[in-house]
Amino acid sequence: MQAVLDAVVEPRRREILRLVRRTELPAGAIAAQFGDVSRPAISQHLRVLRDAGLLVERREGTRRLYRTRPAGLGELRAFLEEFWDTRLEALRQEAEQEQRSRDHEQTERPERRGGKRGRRG
Amino acid sequence: MSKPSDRNAGAGSVVDVGEPIVREIHIRATPETVFEFFTDAGQLTRWLATEATLDPRPGGVCHQEHAREDGSGGSYHMRGEFVEVSPPERVVYTWGFTDPDAGVPPGSSVVDVTLTPDGDGTRLRVEHRDLPAAAIDSHAGGWTGMLERLATAVMTTAGERP
Repeated sequence: MQAVLDAVVEPRRREILRLVRRTELPAGAIAAQFGDVSRPAISQHLRVLRDAGLLVERREGTRRLYRTRPAGLGELRAFLEEFWDTRLEALRQEAEQEQRSRDHEQTERPERRGGKRGRRG
Repeated sequence: MSKPSDRNAGAGSVVDVGEPIVREIHIRATPETVFEFFTDAGQLTRWLATEATLDPRPGGVCHQEHAREDGSGGSYHMRGEFVEVSPPERVVYTWGFTDPDAGVPPGSSVVDVTLTPDGDGTRLRVEHRDLPAAAIDSHAGGWTGMLERLATAVMTTAGERP
């Protein structure tokens, strides 16, 4: 997590993440978006983002292509998936317990009623 | 090095972060019983929330307090609204928190619950959709917002901010 924080604290790295969020781009095209930053500096940013797990790097011949890695920014999703897994398991247990106690009441009552009716009948 | 999930996401198109979270489980209880666990505060607090105020009709409040699991003893405040209440088949409500650090603002996402009779019980399907990550094009929310918050947190911690 610290690597992620360190990676996104730099504004240009956040800009890069936005740039390749939906489109995979070669390093050159990414660098071209930043006229005021040197190519080596952009390469360094890309390395930091890749090492933090925020970018996926793919080689195609001599080119390196980058895009944002969803899992790297999917903490909220991961949290919610685990949240629902845990909670629904708790729901299952509670609902089944509730059902057992309701079924128990229902099987008790008709028997008693049935017994009385039987004696009267 | 790349995991299968990476390869799937790399298929091109849109990243899958905004996809709904879908969970299906089988519960050995009737749909009527399970349904109450979403609409009755006494039952809801047995599994989901520590406190709840529920008015289960379209437009009615769906307020829940969720325990923070950081040992602080504090709560997350879920402030939602029922959208559909059709016992014992379906209940839909909005889902979001007034706490900015929860990452899901009020009204931003939807929980859609369907219950179907299934053998000795109920098949429960929960779909949590419209999560903020789906709205990443907006500059105010989603990833961008999360990145800004992360950055602010780091800078504040590092004392780089006035």
